[in-house]
Amino acid sequence: MKKILLLGMAVCMAAGLSLASCSGKKQESGANAAGSAKPVGIGFIFVGARDDYGYNQAAYQGSVAVEQAFGDRVKIYRSENVPETSEASRVLEQMIQVGATVQFPTSYGHLDPALDVAKNRKDVIFFHQGGLKTSDNLGTYFGTIWEPFYLAGMAAGKVTKTNKLGFIASFPIPQVLLNINAFELGAKSVNPAVTTTVVFTGSWADPAMQTNAANSLIDGGADVLTQHQDSTKTIIEICERRGVKAVGNHADASELAPEGWVTGAMWNWGPTFIDMAQTALDGKFTGSKYDGKFRGGLKEGVVDLAPFGKNVPPDVVVLVNNAKAQMIAGDLFAFEGEVKDQTGKVVIAKGARPSVDELETCDYLVEGVIGSVAN
Amino acid sequence: MVMRKIPARSLSNAGVWFLVLISPVALFGLFLAAQGVDAMGTYASMVRLTLFTGYGMGEVIIKTTPLIFIAVATCVSAKAGIVNVGGEGQFAMGALASTALGVSLGASLPAVAGIPLMALAGILGGLIWSGIAGLLKNHANMNSTITTLILNYIAVQVVSYFVFGLLKDPASFNWPMSPPIPNHLQLFKFGNSKVSITIFIALLTAVLVWLILGRTKWGFKIRVIGGNPMAALHAGYNVKKNQLIAMAISGGLCGFAGMLEMGSVEERLRQTTGVNYGYLGFLAAWMAWNNPLLSILTAFVIGFLSVSGNILEITSGLPSSSIRILMSVVLLAILWKGRKK
Amino acid sequence: MIGALTLLLSGAIQSGTSVLYGVYGETLCERVGVLYMGIEGSMVLGAFAAYMVTSETGSPVLGLGAGMLAGALLALAHAYFVITRRTNQIATGLTLMFLGLGLTAFFGRKYTSIHVDGFRELAIPLLSKIPVIGQAIFTQDPITYISFILGPLLWFLIFKTRTGILFRGTGEDEKVVFAYGVNPVLFRYLGVLAGGALAGIGGAQLSIAYTHTWIEGITNGRGIIAVALVILASWNPAKAYIGAYIFGGAQALQLILQQQGYNISPFLLLMLPYVLTLAALFAMSKQKRQVMPEELKRVINN
Repeated sequence: MKKILLLGMAVCMAAGLSLASCSGKKQESGANAAGSAKPVGIGFIFVGARDDYGYNQAAYQGSVAVEQAFGDRVKIYRSENVPETSEASRVLEQMIQVGATVQFPTSYGHLDPALDVAKNRKDVIFFHQGGLKTSDNLGTYFGTIWEPFYLAGMAAGKVTKTNKLGFIASFPIPQVLLNINAFELGAKSVNPAVTTTVVFTGSWADPAMQTNAANSLIDGGADVLTQHQDSTKTIIEICERRGVKAVGNHADASELAPEGWVTGAMWNWGPTFIDMAQTALDGKFTGSKYDGKFRGGLKEGVVDLAPFGKNVPPDVVVLVNNAKAQMIAGDLFAFEGEVKDQTGKVVIAKGARPSVDELETCDYLVEGVIGSVAN
Repeated sequence: MVMRKIPARSLSNAGVWFLVLISPVALFGLFLAAQGVDAMGTYASMVRLTLFTGYGMGEVIIKTTPLIFIAVATCVSAKAGIVNVGGEGQFAMGALASTALGVSLGASLPAVAGIPLMALAGILGGLIWSGIAGLLKNHANMNSTITTLILNYIAVQVVSYFVFGLLKDPASFNWPMSPPIPNHLQLFKFGNSKVSITIFIALLTAVLVWLILGRTKWGFKIRVIGGNPMAALHAGYNVKKNQLIAMAISGGLCGFAGMLEMGSVEERLRQTTGVNYGYLGFLAAWMAWNNPLLSILTAFVIGFLSVSGNILEITSGLPSSSIRILMSVVLLAILWKGRKK
Repeated sequence: MIGALTLLLSGAIQSGTSVLYGVYGETLCERVGVLYMGIEGSMVLGAFAAYMVTSETGSPVLGLGAGMLAGALLALAHAYFVITRRTNQIATGLTLMFLGLGLTAFFGRKYTSIHVDGFRELAIPLLSKIPVIGQAIFTQDPITYISFILGPLLWFLIFKTRTGILFRGTGEDEKVVFAYGVNPVLFRYLGVLAGGALAGIGGAQLSIAYTHTWIEGITNGRGIIAVALVILASWNPAKAYIGAYIFGGAQALQLILQQQGYNISPFLLLMLPYVLTLAALFAMSKQKRQVMPEELKRVINN
């Protein structure tokens, strides 16, 4: 029996070999026919599904923007649901083998695998999304999405009647904690009595858990909900059905909640991705603003505040828009001290503005947030 | 159990097997064509970039290694009449325990002590996790298919608890991952690749387990217990004790696989380390009718499909779910063929 | 502000209902002696088919039908493999689960961003005004209401009708069924098909009644848990609520605890539903073994 199986495998392999050899020829001739202008391969890997209506979709749309901007000059490779383990290195390596010379690993956990590959592939440029470590041919980029979260928090703090805001989060990682904190700080800046209750779902996209959490928060008295999940549609629609207000994340989802939409934080990766790809295509990566830790915010247009809902009072719109203008001008900084954590300990000294590195290692919730990151 | 067969029959059998393996591939090819994908070209690059490049083959070996362990582990318990679907959790607990030891004491231990200790921790981690299911079976008559499944879910949260807490790397900016296992405790790797000696350990283990199950007195005992518990009782065998031992070995092997994965490929523990390995390894074992040697082959098939699946996705532009479809169609075909009695 | 008890009860029912249908479905399969680990696959197919058809036709009722059909279809594959081809039941079920997850992820992508008006909650007049339980029990979606009466109904069918006795006989001792001049294979197929259809409804409840969302992997292991919970119900549909609501209740409880701001790791709380399920199984383990269908013992112990 074993021998038979082995035989079968051998036959399959032989078949594969013959297939491989003919295709090899075909590819070569194809390449010759294509002529001199060989398109540049650009790879994108995503940690989740590219149509998740959230984080991954935002990055995916960035990749589409690149595809459209460069047309035939580039060949785009994509891979989704890539786990944040050494499997990510494999996918990156495989993409390089099929022709990618520029890579966008778009999740934080892809950083170490990408650094691994970058070490051996000096001719490939890597743009990593959200990391704090870099190398010669790997730069990181991210958007300060907490800026619009602070502004959205202001709006939420103004429109709440119960002074209870709800935040449905995935995991207590720095990017998520920053958004929770910014949201509460923004809300508190206009309404000192407001609290934000946070619930962790332990998942990036489990609609049933999201629904349960949203209902639970609403029944507990929260009348404005926001979230940090990959898939945001479910919660926004529940808010609308149950007549409470919704603050979005990742994208403008105002159409999902015509009555209850307040505003939200959103990504706009297109122009930045195109600029990064252009830099790599021109061979100007080293020395450019992208070869270290690039962070873009409202000012750079990497993130934005979503349009306001129709039921947001005009004075709130004016207030938040003013704050946005101040933020862009550099007069307002979401995490300017003094900021205390849940235990009352001062985590950001009075008047201080923490650096990117300090912010993106956040491991606490600020005063006014109800919830636990205890471990 | 050496079977002699007349060549003509073997030949026709081989033909049937060939059809079994080729038909899902053909079927999936039609599916690809329906999606407007050049099926032949895609298949060709899948095979070429996976089996005919050093890197691709290395990746298949890396992916196959833990699957062999988990498949062999599944065989051991299955022979004793217990279904262990908990490879997922036992692998994770082994990875957790060995990483915890490696990063806490590792720096002060020389390799000659540290690596065996890590292995021991890994084995214990997996063993305890399967042991819970074994004890629940013996003392509360709880079905191990069910308990091992539930324990998988608990293990996921235990790992998360540690990588977000006690095991969080202080140098990783508060991201949920353990510190790397110290360099001197990493297993020997070939050249610049991540392929390490672990594949040989896996092959050796498969052969050893095959020998133990097929050629030793204890193996015979286990097979009697698994085949006919009543007969085993009449023969005076301690069914419960031996089943517990089989379950412990099974979990220990999974935990050991977790340790080897940490010590060679992953180097640090993350939430998603080894996700789905347990289920895939389990399937590899059942495709091979719980024969440890055949499991090597089936594990290889699954390993090949996972690695080449990424090529499929990258070159065809289809979503990653297409890999899952291909894999399940191939597995179903193997299942359909079933055991020739 | 509603009391914590109401919150817990309604949370238990809401997050337990899809699991409950999974338990119903698995119970039918196991009653005819078939272990169907692909319940998760049937659920996810049901969730997707229901969402797709609802979005295309605008009718959640048609969607529900499609969900049932899709769940049954995957179960039919399982029945063919394990009954006709006599393949290993656990391996086949797991593989079909992967297939279901893969197919729905593949064909489902364009529906992720589509809005669907599914079933809404309907407050039952008068009953919904009862303190504590009114809000929790009588303000639900139609699929949930059906799940309330389905347990006793299935119990009656299986335990109190002649067909039901033969049906059960298939899982206990097929020779007896033969003696009655009935083909046990037919019953076995029917049992698995019906089980898959029920699991499909469970999936539909998730996608078009509870979350109004389609996303790949929406079932997230709820089908797998259902397989475990069948034991808590002693293979009796009238007791299926116990396990499903313990699981759903634990899910709701951990969310409530998180909101209290206690200094407990969220991961320990997220563990709660599984630990509680295991504990409940342990607590009820002593009397369970005897009621397990005989044919199933053979399957599970091979």
